[in-house]
Amino acid sequence: MANKFISSPLGVQIKRRDLLKGAGVLGAASVFPAIITRRAFAADKPTVVNSIRSLSNPYHATWNKGGAAFAKSVGADYVTLVTEGNSEKGIADIKAILAKTGGNCVINVDPNDSPDARPIVEAAKAAGAYVVTQWNKPADLHPWDFDPNYVAHISFSGVPYGKAMAETLIKKIGGKGGIVALGGIESNVPAIERKKGLEEALAANPDVKLLDYQVANWSATEALEKTNAWLTQFGDQINAIWAANDDMALAAVEALRADGRAGKVAVTGIDGIQLAVEAIQKGELAGTVAWDPYWQGGMGLSIGYQAKTGGFDPSKEPKDHREFYGKGVIITADNANAFYEENIASEPKMDWNDIWGRVTGQIQY
Amino acid sequence: MPAARRRWRIASWAPLIVLVLLCGIITLINPNFLTFGNLVRISQAAMIPLVLGMGATFIILMGSIDLSVEGGLTLSAVILSMLVINGANENAFGLFGVLIVLLVGAGVGFTNGVIHVRLKIPSFMVTLGMWFVGVGAANALLGGMAIRINDPMIRGLAIERFLGFPWGVWVALGCLLVALVIQNYTRLGRYIYALGGGEELAALSGIPVGRVRILAFTLAGVFYAVGGVLAAAQLGLGNAQIGTGRLFTTITAVVVGGTALSGGQGSVLQTLVGVLIVVVLANGMVLMGVPPSVQIGVQGLMIIAAVALSIDRKRMRIVK
Repeated sequence: MANKFISSPLGVQIKRRDLLKGAGVLGAASVFPAIITRRAFAADKPTVVNSIRSLSNPYHATWNKGGAAFAKSVGADYVTLVTEGNSEKGIADIKAILAKTGGNCVINVDPNDSPDARPIVEAAKAAGAYVVTQWNKPADLHPWDFDPNYVAHISFSGVPYGKAMAETLIKKIGGKGGIVALGGIESNVPAIERKKGLEEALAANPDVKLLDYQVANWSATEALEKTNAWLTQFGDQINAIWAANDDMALAAVEALRADGRAGKVAVTGIDGIQLAVEAIQKGELAGTVAWDPYWQGGMGLSIGYQAKTGGFDPSKEPKDHREFYGKGVIITADNANAFYEENIASEPKMDWNDIWGRVTGQIQY
Repeated sequence: MPAARRRWRIASWAPLIVLVLLCGIITLINPNFLTFGNLVRISQAAMIPLVLGMGATFIILMGSIDLSVEGGLTLSAVILSMLVINGANENAFGLFGVLIVLLVGAGVGFTNGVIHVRLKIPSFMVTLGMWFVGVGAANALLGGMAIRINDPMIRGLAIERFLGFPWGVWVALGCLLVALVIQNYTRLGRYIYALGGGEELAALSGIPVGRVRILAFTLAGVFYAVGGVLAAAQLGLGNAQIGTGRLFTTITAVVVGGTALSGGQGSVLQTLVGVLIVVVLANGMVLMGVPPSVQIGVQGLMIIAAVALSIDRKRMRIVK
């Protein structure tokens, strides 16, 4: 009987109303401390905030380390917000920190999804905070439309790095021979861009023949199978394997090893994961590109912080400082040991004042 | 009914005919297909789906489904990478580590079975949950990182050869033999068929239905753990993405081999044929130069065709 009463529509209605009341009280309560903190922080240094997807992948974990290092360098309070892949949570958390600091903060955000960038930027502008976005934003949302609060957007183009890796391979095989290529998911922007870079490099080297291009969907397992089939089809014609990411590249290396061809075929990846850098050190991989999330996590904050504290005026900066491609680090046998020592074995050293040091051109849409 | 028997037999041979036809067509287009080197490569690609398929076959024979393939495999691979000689810690448990991993797999399967039987939750939901639990646990253990395996014995499964084939292939064949023995010569095997044919009847004739189900899921978990060991050996690392895509291949192979999803019909040998069809097709599409964007579609058509050939429509009144 009691159970019946609770699960009746009436019971649910009462519950909902109670919840709304509760939410109202909570809302009112959260406004109150916001006013207090505004006074307390008004003359203080802006809080620096990184908003990222999660701390359970090495990429964002390193991003977070970079952010903490920058905050320490200027003596500001540091806050990490984690979206866990949930756009609503990401935006709500940012609004909460804007209210808490009264707008006296700098936000460096990797939006969970492109559309999220707009409400984040609008909320920051309304609160007077400064914001830098990375990777994802709608093509028609521009920093210069939100002067001065929306300081910059940073992304990375796959084209020059896909090309650089292909050129590394071509150089390694002496300018002629056969190449096979493992691509990422066909509709992904990075996969499309990296493939375009590969094609550019091949067009410039007519003696190098692309024997086959297969889509392995960023997956090691699929890359292993495709490489195996290639060994049957092309055998010794394969001199080099270009892979659109490190996971696929390392799988290709394993397929070669199981076939007794380890070291006879040059392989490159992209992304700069630790295992790939180690494989380069061992001579199993010819190259990769590191996006340097440490730089992204710290420099995104540094750019916003300097704008907020009057280091420069965003509205006076050229457009290629407002929407720019960052610079990946190309790793080959020449610099793998140094890269490992500086970035993986120990905390990287950065000049956080060199804010435009890695600008490589305005983003093209 | 001799006529019905004969028809069933032809239907059960259909997958093998498909496999032979497929090999023939690929060889016509690219004669390299029939070289010994490619045979070895196909066996390498088939070893993991075969072991996983052994486990899944028993579950599907009971009329249940097991979606925890990737969960069990990933967790096993990750734990293995942490126990044998590796690039992240000082452990070197070797064969003992493999044993622990098999126990973990059995544990995952046993949990599946107990929840499914005791709490009376459909196997679909239980194993769906265990899939995420397994992958989630692997993720929690590694925090998104990958661990390189340096143990020569584990790596040897993929690299060292015996009679021209990698040791992993022999391990997979060993699993096939074990599965065959269980299927044909043990009470568990006969009970599994009985459950798939009609569970109420089986229960009325005194078969301990619950215990058989729990045992079958435990057995499947062990096979997935073996699959995890082989996957880790093949890629030389353990990470939380190592199982991605394995469930689809496994279920496809079992069904394409002619084992009915409704239970009671099929065998582990048919799964072997199903695995070979799936692997040969994937290998052949690259050899024949099928454009990447078309490959997945061809795979789908192939599944429908193989199942259409192998089912016995005379015995089916209702199709859901």
